Amino acid sequence: MNLFGMLELSGSALHAERQRAEVVASNMANAQTTRTPAGGPYRRQLVVFQAQRVPRFSLALAGLQRENSSAVRVAAVVSDQRPSVLRFEPGHPDADAKGYVAYPQVDPIEEMTDLLGAVRAYELNASAVQATKNMITQSLSLLQ
Amino acid sequence: MNPSITALRILPADVATAPAGVPEEGKFFETLQQTINQAEGAQGDAASQVAALLDGKGADVHSAIIAVEKADLSFQLMMQVRNKIVQAYQQISNMQF
Amino acid sequence: MSLIDTPLMRGLERVMDLSAFRHQVIASNLANIDTPGYRTRDVRAFAGEIEQAMNGGQAMFGEPSLSQISLSQPSHVQPWFAPVSHPIRGLLERPDGNNVSVERESLLLAENQLRFTVAAQFMKGEFHKLTSAITLGGSSS
Repeated sequence: MNLFGMLELSGSALHAERQRAEVVASNMANAQTTRTPAGGPYRRQLVVFQAQRVPRFSLALAGLQRENSSAVRVAAVVSDQRPSVLRFEPGHPDADAKGYVAYPQVDPIEEMTDLLGAVRAYELNASAVQATKNMITQSLSLLQ
Repeated sequence: MNPSITALRILPADVATAPAGVPEEGKFFETLQQTINQAEGAQGDAASQVAALLDGKGADVHSAIIAVEKADLSFQLMMQVRNKIVQAYQQISNMQF
Repeated sequence: MSLIDTPLMRGLERVMDLSAFRHQVIASNLANIDTPGYRTRDVRAFAGEIEQAMNGGQAMFGEPSLSQISLSQPSHVQPWFAPVSHPIRGLLERPDGNNVSVERESLLLAENQLRFTVAAQFMKGEFHKLTSAITLGGSSS
């Protein structure tokens, strides 16, 4: 198997899933943040995954078809466009004229589910790396 | 051209000048030629595959390793054929009075 | 390669090539398990390929590989075809268009690895057999 390209491919997934987990952690940490330097409450973040060609694969040797292998990357980190959650708290310093405070639209259950998905995907790709290493070791044992 | 294989094309002097009564060319030399060519080809192929692998040009690890093994086997075969031919000619020349 | 090739070696090498390629495809599926719109890919069943390779026939599936054609091959050797992958149908699709199944890919990852290992072990056996034949054959006289 293609030694360098394979590890880079699985590595890209590990990197992307870790970024996803980091965004979840940021969301959970800021679930109650009602003021930000940019003004307004914290806006929930999400990652957008996108397939990409593995840069190291030489086209000539990997065949003419480009779709045979694709890595992944985080194309963008975007803000959730849903409206903020409004709660009636007239005594709060960030309350508006009617006494409502805008909170981030962060749902702990949603975030935990996302985190579990990221962890599972991370583990799957880690086992893919193990499988790659195993097959390379098997190949090397042919020389004995 | 691999220098060690090229050197083997030059057989020892007493084999090169065949003793009287022994056919000059023939199957022995054909086979030897074949094995030498194959060994050279296999070594070249193995070298280029390993170079491509280490250069990060996307070669397969197992293909390069199989090519190296085949080159090794081809080389061993060539050595054995050469040794047998030399041995046979020496035996024949010892029979001359 | 005719003097030191056996049909079994050709078949085994083809198995290893196809398994290595399939591993690449499976790893791509796993990497894109959360990519919206990504479709699972796989190679076609390769039961017949091994037999074809062992009998010296042409590869059944694939497309000509540029690199193999440029390497100097003796003219009597069949051109080696690079395997190809296709999107596969019949998988459950999630709302974002992704149809990668964790169970399917995990299972295939393990099975494919095993196939590669088995082929490698038999290949090692073939090498040892040939080495013995070359070095020990006809040592008498």
